[in-house]
Amino acid sequence: MISLSYYIACAVVLYIIGMYCLASKRNMIKLVMGLEIMVNAAHVSFIAFSAYISPGYIDPLGHSVVIMSISFAGCVTALALVIVTYAYKHYKTLDVRKLRRLKW
Amino acid sequence: MFTPPLDTLLVFMIGTPAIGWVIHKKGYPKVQGIYASAGLLVAAYFLYGLSREVSEKGIVLITGPPPFNPPLGACLQIDVFSVFMTMVYIIIGLFTTVYSIKFMERDSGLTEYYTLMLGMVAGMTGVVFAGDFFTLFVFWELMCLTSYALVAFRKQKWESIEAGFKYLIMSAAGSATILLAMSFLYGMTGTLNFAALADRLANTSSEGWLYITLALVIVGFGIKAAIVPFHTWLPDAHSAAPSPVSAMLSGVMVPTGACVLIRILLLVFSSAQPAWQMTLAIFAVFTMFGGNLMALLQNDLKRLLAFSTIAHMGYIVFGFAIASPEGLAASLFHIVNHAVMKSLLFLCAGAFIRQTKTRDLRKLKGIGKTMPMTSAAFTIGTIAIAAFPPLNGFWSEMMIITAGVRAEMIIFSALMLTNVALSVVYYFRLIRIIILEKPTKVSKKATKAPVLMLIPILVLAFLCVFIGVYPVPYIDASSKAAEAMLNIGAYIDVVLRGL
Repeated sequence: MISLSYYIACAVVLYIIGMYCLASKRNMIKLVMGLEIMVNAAHVSFIAFSAYISPGYIDPLGHSVVIMSISFAGCVTALALVIVTYAYKHYKTLDVRKLRRLKW
Repeated sequence: MFTPPLDTLLVFMIGTPAIGWVIHKKGYPKVQGIYASAGLLVAAYFLYGLSREVSEKGIVLITGPPPFNPPLGACLQIDVFSVFMTMVYIIIGLFTTVYSIKFMERDSGLTEYYTLMLGMVAGMTGVVFAGDFFTLFVFWELMCLTSYALVAFRKQKWESIEAGFKYLIMSAAGSATILLAMSFLYGMTGTLNFAALADRLANTSSEGWLYITLALVIVGFGIKAAIVPFHTWLPDAHSAAPSPVSAMLSGVMVPTGACVLIRILLLVFSSAQPAWQMTLAIFAVFTMFGGNLMALLQNDLKRLLAFSTIAHMGYIVFGFAIASPEGLAASLFHIVNHAVMKSLLFLCAGAFIRQTKTRDLRKLKGIGKTMPMTSAAFTIGTIAIAAFPPLNGFWSEMMIITAGVRAEMIIFSALMLTNVALSVVYYFRLIRIIILEKPTKVSKKATKAPVLMLIPILVLAFLCVFIGVYPVPYIDASSKAAEAMLNIGAYIDVVLRGL
């Protein structure tokens, strides 16, 4: 069996990739994608732990949290894309660096 | 299904679109607001019943049938602290809903507005009732989603959309961080139940992962609780949201983040207590200074009040960082006071903005001459929040400072005292602008606020004075709630020993 630390390393790397995407991408839709990547990092971590906690048995608690969380992430993405649509109507661009009218 | 108050809020939340659809056919405009307020009143009645049950039994545990009972299944674990916070949420929610019946009458989409408001109150109630991380996360996401939609509610204006997008990205990143921390806790112990986690992590051996998870928890909940490096969404979101929504966000939702944070830190991370106490205290000092210094520079009324919220969250988090019974009781009492004072200020600001269509303090000068009752209430709220003796802000802030001194955190208490003194500068600037200056052209055209908006404002102003003059019952209630928070042994026993 592959040892647990590889899965957790994968989850942490995904989380860092998601955060990098939120920090450095300009397109608003890419920011929403970065958010999804961050949430998926936690999902990978839950599934990995639910398999490795008790040997020979997969704990259903981890999987149930992931199912619930996927549906919430879908709702957040839907709401975020609605806001992106309205932002495009107001600002005529998808570049998040143009949304800087609110300062200080 | 759940407990009666939470059930009522959820049922009314789902019923509001049905009512909205029916009256859309008939054409009566204000029924949704009245239905939502009625829902909150019914929830308050059930909450009173629940509070009597909690004061008899100590902790009320609501679980599923035997295969799904804790530690495997989810549960609601209601103690005095949960009931205390829910009372604040429902009362402030009731006042803002009654206020928005008149304030939001010219907006479209009112059905969705009242649904989202009830959903936000339901989410916050569920968050403090939760007995394990699964339930907490479900209700936390409910609270977050409804608040994203409420901040971006006036979608025809660019400001709401920009503020809403910024808030959504930052807050959803916070939720993802919380989820990652949950997964690490699950990996360390095999359970998500608070009582079981407290039991298994009390004498832990995996020190490194515990500290990493602690950092993730503080970051994740700190984004919502407006702790300083993570506070940047707050000024934009609270200025751009409609005023009743700002009152709810500022007054009750931001302190909810801090409450859940301290609950998790006390229960789950009790073995790392010195570490998180010092971390929270340092963050609290940065938050206080950040909020107060930025508020000195503002010319926009709601943005100034938003930065003032950040400063008060600094005081509350400092009280939590003290982690002694007096410190926790002081912070809980300050949450009550801040909810009353800050929602009063935001509702008055909403009245000013509705009558004059501007948020700029330079144009709102002298509005006290044309809107006397609102300005009187605003002045009472500002004097209260600047911590002047006969009003309620003074008692809670003094309690936090003395609790800090008693717990040997003297430098932090001195810094908090400096901040309270510093904040008086911009609060008195507000009073001077509203009452003492000559009216400008814009403020001369303002008319008096409508009665339905004045009622919540005057009741909240009366509460400021009432709590200030006789704070003893409220201090007692906060002390009982703080004791319940610190009584970790009883919390664990109810779930694990089946008592």
